Amino acid sequence: MIKTKPASLLAVAAVIAGLALAQTSANFGGPNDPGAQSANRGTGVTIINPANDPNGFTAFFQDGLDRFQEIETVSNSANVGLGPRFNSNQCSSCHAQPAIGGSGVAVNPQFRFVQNGVAPSNTMPSFITANGPTREARFPFFFNSNGGVNTSAPNGGVEDLFTVTGRPDAGTCNLAQPNFAEAEAANNVIFRIPTPVFGAGLIENLDDSTLLKNQAANLQNNFGIAGTFNRNGNDGTITRFGWKAQNKSLHIFAGEAYNVEMGISNELFPQDRPLPEEDQLGTGLPANCMNLGGIGYPEDTSNPNLTPNAAVLDDVSAFANFMRFLAPPPTGGVVLNGVPVSAQSISTGKSVFSSIGCATCHNPSPGTTQVSDFVPALSNAPVPAFSDLEIHNMGTGLADNVSQGSAGGDQFRTAPLWGLGQRIFLLHDGRTTNLVNAIQAHASHGSEATNVVQNFFNLSPNLHQDVLNFLRSL
Amino acid sequence: MRFRFLCFLIVLVSSVSSPVRGQGVQNKVPSGVILIKGAWSSASDSVTPVPEGGSVANDLFSDQYFGITYPLPPGWAEKYKGPPPSDSGRYVLAQLSPGEASRGFDRASISIAAQDMFFTPVPAANPTELINYMRDHLQADYKVEVPPRQIKMADRSFTLFGYWSPVAQLHWYVVAIQIRCHTVQIVLTNSDTKLLEGLMQGMNKMKLPSQASSTGGAGGGAVPVCIKDFARDENMIARVNPVFNEHRFNPVPVRIIIDKEGKVKHIHFLSAFTDQAKAITDALGQWRFKPYRRDGQPFEVETGILFGRPPPPTAPLATVNRRF
Repeated sequence: MIKTKPASLLAVAAVIAGLALAQTSANFGGPNDPGAQSANRGTGVTIINPANDPNGFTAFFQDGLDRFQEIETVSNSANVGLGPRFNSNQCSSCHAQPAIGGSGVAVNPQFRFVQNGVAPSNTMPSFITANGPTREARFPFFFNSNGGVNTSAPNGGVEDLFTVTGRPDAGTCNLAQPNFAEAEAANNVIFRIPTPVFGAGLIENLDDSTLLKNQAANLQNNFGIAGTFNRNGNDGTITRFGWKAQNKSLHIFAGEAYNVEMGISNELFPQDRPLPEEDQLGTGLPANCMNLGGIGYPEDTSNPNLTPNAAVLDDVSAFANFMRFLAPPPTGGVVLNGVPVSAQSISTGKSVFSSIGCATCHNPSPGTTQVSDFVPALSNAPVPAFSDLEIHNMGTGLADNVSQGSAGGDQFRTAPLWGLGQRIFLLHDGRTTNLVNAIQAHASHGSEATNVVQNFFNLSPNLHQDVLNFLRSL
Repeated sequence: MRFRFLCFLIVLVSSVSSPVRGQGVQNKVPSGVILIKGAWSSASDSVTPVPEGGSVANDLFSDQYFGITYPLPPGWAEKYKGPPPSDSGRYVLAQLSPGEASRGFDRASISIAAQDMFFTPVPAANPTELINYMRDHLQADYKVEVPPRQIKMADRSFTLFGYWSPVAQLHWYVVAIQIRCHTVQIVLTNSDTKLLEGLMQGMNKMKLPSQASSTGGAGGGAVPVCIKDFARDENMIARVNPVFNEHRFNPVPVRIIIDKEGKVKHIHFLSAFTDQAKAITDALGQWRFKPYRRDGQPFEVETGILFGRPPPPTAPLATVNRRF
């Protein structure tokens, strides 16, 4: 079985171990969130059985994993194309907890970008902190030229945190960062954290009818829950990746991220990306910030002259393969205050999780996959994602006023809970590290989850703890 | 005089140099407000009551559309309003829970919901059938505690169904009644069945319309007669299809009220994007029905029409087992 390379330094490991200590909710005061579990559960390996890989995709997984860790530069290296705007210079710097392909780590690599030369002449946004979540930022609305926020002009696009200004490999390109301070003052900025991609191939290989049947089976509930699907604008089929389920396939997901988060144009997104307001104003990027890699567009392409087979692929295809062939995160034991919790507690928590209605959205499995032309491991496989992949109205407390596809500003995809046990930052914006606070945030005006959250808080303290123990076992 | 002139000048200069503060221009995005909506509910006027227009005020839940008033148990309140109506016709009208000072009820909740029977994905024609369907498809997590039966509450006939979760130690009592072709469900949740029965006793103070019942509730009298699928060819004089400019894929359930002359007088979108609502409104304005008569008298009719993509398939007959 292919293993990922060790991703964390000793310091990071120590922080993660510290986080495995119980976190008592400030609001709740009783049951304790066991915290992100630090034991090695074997997360981050491939789903492919090398002994049953008739098409030879194991090598493609390894190649994708290697490229996922490459450090991108603007020019003068083997991996050019970074910028002119970016949120990070390496896929695995954001997607690394608890293993490569995961979510954000405890010590935010973005916080060092100014001092370590990745973004030397930049100002660190105030919302990027040393031990806070790795983030991207969006402005829900455009600003007028006089600085007022125009709530009749929706924006919602990613406002990259950093520019290549001051980098020795960036020529004369001199770009200003977005005015994050102004946006914060105007309450016009929202955040997203990296979404983990373990098990993504299984999610990709669920056909629409399976998801629709699952939806129908769960519509008749007494919890007030009635989700719907986000859909591809071209053919109406169900989309499923991203915080709002806005992307159809891992290929699109990877291509968009490469272009938006790292500024690298590719075969799916062939142009360098201006900020949303630069597009709106018709200015685009200045000429001296174009083609900084010197190789033309798109900056990432297939490589017909390379060997072996995997090397021919463009980076985006390699990333898609990496994500597609990542195994779902295994469940594991839970340690609370230094003591392992009992299997009985986890089992009881599992049952209660379903009884009180959490599983109406966080389905243990929405179905089994269709037959895969890639690898047998993706064929007719269960998908223990704990998500229906639907979008739900989550109320004013979680709304970010960003629409994506047919998902409105308060609608989010049910976040898959597999791997939750080892996640540090929770919810779409990483606002909390405490499970109880995350559960509480599901209740607000206009949320479908309010009744279920009420049921959770109506449980006895022992059952609360059982549910939390179960969640951290995922 | 000079001072007044200066004040005038100041006001004049301010109004000329300030940017046009039209709709949407603000200094700060308001917190806790959903400004960017997906498919949402809306209506052609703000005067005609709609199901989701109910509210809790002065310890009283009232919903003018359904004609319900319900005095909350002492110390209870609605902390959060429910979600918008779903594209399958599901409403959350109120979510009630005890306040901090309420003893004994601290692990309880009351949810008042409604299912539009014109759009339910379940093969049920009335609340009794809906409740029976619920019993027949109860998940393995629950045990039936009170098999479906008819009860009298607030001088009306309800269908009652009770089930519980042995592992969560929570009980659910569901009482359902039909009003204007909706199944209105009140779901009471508590860890103690005696307290649930006490809450149900309190529901006798509810006021309901005279037509409300467990198998009736088809309107008439002060409200339109509700008729499923009334917009059939044999009832139509003129019909125009809406022209949608954007290609979307969501179901758009719509309720309309037709006046005694056969014109559409009120449109209620349970779930629609703005452009869909406009296109449908433009079309419905041109529809003409044959006036509906009973015993020679014309009546207003309320009916449902589904535009857009059909809803999900009907839930399968086999019980859904969500055990891991």
